[in-house]
Amino acid sequence: MKSFFWENLRIALGELWAHKTRTILTGTGIVIGIIAVSLMSTLINGVDGLFENSMKFLGRDVLYVEKWPWFGGGEDWWTLRNRPRIDLDMADDIKARSEYALVVATERGRSADLSYQDLSAENIFVHGVTANYPEVSTVDVEFGRFFTGSEDRTGAQVILLGSEVAKTLFPLKDPIDKTIFAGPHRFRVIGVMAEMGKFMGAFSQDTQVLIPSETYNKVFHGPWGMRRITVKVPDDRVEDAKEELRGVIRVMRGLKPGEKDNFAVNQQNAFRKTYQGIKLAIGGAGLVITALSLLVGGIGIANIMFVSVKERTREIGVRKALGATRRQIQGQFLIEAMVITAAGGLVGLIISTAASLAISKFIFPATMSFGVAFMAILLSAVVGLLAGLAPARKGSRLDPIDALRYE
Amino acid sequence: MPLIKVNDLYKIYQMGTTEVRALDGVSLEIEQNEYLSIMGPSGSGKSTLMNLLGCLDTPTSGDFFMDGINVATMSDDELAHIRNKKIGFVFQTFNLLPKSTSLRNVELPLIYNGMIKAQDRKGLATKAMERVGLGDRVNHKPNELSGGQRQRVAVARALVNDPAIILADEPTGNLDSKTGEEIMALFDDLHQQGNTIILVTHEEDIAAHAHRVIRLLDGRIAADQATQ
Repeated sequence: MKSFFWENLRIALGELWAHKTRTILTGTGIVIGIIAVSLMSTLINGVDGLFENSMKFLGRDVLYVEKWPWFGGGEDWWTLRNRPRIDLDMADDIKARSEYALVVATERGRSADLSYQDLSAENIFVHGVTANYPEVSTVDVEFGRFFTGSEDRTGAQVILLGSEVAKTLFPLKDPIDKTIFAGPHRFRVIGVMAEMGKFMGAFSQDTQVLIPSETYNKVFHGPWGMRRITVKVPDDRVEDAKEELRGVIRVMRGLKPGEKDNFAVNQQNAFRKTYQGIKLAIGGAGLVITALSLLVGGIGIANIMFVSVKERTREIGVRKALGATRRQIQGQFLIEAMVITAAGGLVGLIISTAASLAISKFIFPATMSFGVAFMAILLSAVVGLLAGLAPARKGSRLDPIDALRYE
Repeated sequence: MPLIKVNDLYKIYQMGTTEVRALDGVSLEIEQNEYLSIMGPSGSGKSTLMNLLGCLDTPTSGDFFMDGINVATMSDDELAHIRNKKIGFVFQTFNLLPKSTSLRNVELPLIYNGMIKAQDRKGLATKAMERVGLGDRVNHKPNELSGGQRQRVAVARALVNDPAIILADEPTGNLDSKTGEEIMALFDDLHQQGNTIILVTHEEDIAAHAHRVIRLLDGRIAADQATQ
């Protein structure tokens, strides 16, 4: 049986070589299908990596008490708008009353224009945080240092720059200990944060600056801007902690039973859920595209195999007269169909490997996994098998007498 | 024991409501190393008999023993096996695969034989090509050969598996008379070497090469005589 495989492979290659244009046209559908499936999974892998990376500054075990829920929340905009703003003084009470709260930090934020000598960076998010902020988020200080507790208490005019901001204001110089301006206010640069990358352009710390919260309160007046209380809880009790925290804040705000929460307790999960939804949609679309192009490709191959069987009726007659069994004839055409799809799969894989290399070089890091490549080849072979089945069966069942007489 | 023993063979086709008796009770024995021709006008059942003798078809009823084995009731794949091992076909239109070299064409029955190793095939096929006088044409494709040479390749292909019978269907039908004579001389030679040959023809002078002529008419044997 083994020798027939090689024999049939040899026949198939000869036959396909003799009809090069036809083979290429027929295989193109499979090429497209394989590109779709492998690029799609490569993209999803890449986006996954990006997402995880950018989620780093939102800890899994951290709860965010804010006015606005991150996603929807089932309330209409006006109700949410009219909620009282978060009083950051609650932070100490929360720490005292909550059993689960390990660390309680506060954050405020708004945008401002920064300048150093004649260079400026506009619309930069100024983030005013307590000194314990590094315990609730990932703050990767590359040069210099974070501010101290006493700098926070005294409202020292010190600042840490995100990597993009540092590059803009100090393209050539070392920023440490230089004095920059935020509006009329002077700040001494004490640190620069490592580059984080961005997730679809959002949530990047690279375009932010960090200052102590007391300094923020002193310098920026008015009720505007983001304010939140950030609570780190034990990572195996996040859900319990969330319920407890809700209760604590409801009591502090004097809400009666039956009254709705007038605040939101956000967590990374919300992002994760939304992201999973997006990922599922991308994956689903990719799957549909792949399935359709493989289906169309498969139909094309089945069609061309029927033509091939018809054209070679006489050859089938001769082979049968010389002793070819049904299985041998069937194998010949099946292998021919599978060679087309396998070659199409291989070409598709080469193209998508090149494409994913280009993507990871110019857009974002994305690598094609070995599993995806293996699956793509397997998939194309299966399509070949299915597409070749009916034509091969037809060929193998020809009556040798009629086939020999066929003109 | 005769090489072929056919007993009361019927082949009946149903054409709508009418019944066509292509073979209507044929019995016949063929011995080892016979040189036989089957003749008859068209519609006499000549082709049907040839298809049955060549194991390309099965009879409606009757027995057909080849080398003592009853092939009348065999399945398609079993018949394929018998064709491969016991029968060498030579067709009027040569039926060579146009894209393959003559050596590849001759190799085909060896490939389907299944018992012959790939490395032995070339040698056997080359030997068969030498037997028909085309040892120097192994790498030519059919369209690079003359009609006579093509038929010689076909004969080599028929010989290569060392079959029990060589079944030639109008082997000179597509050749000019001179080339036809050459091919017939080749058959005479093969007969001399001990092969059993069955010619199916409607040409008297071709049939005259055989030592026995069977004449068919309306699906029955009308005459079965030795020639001189």
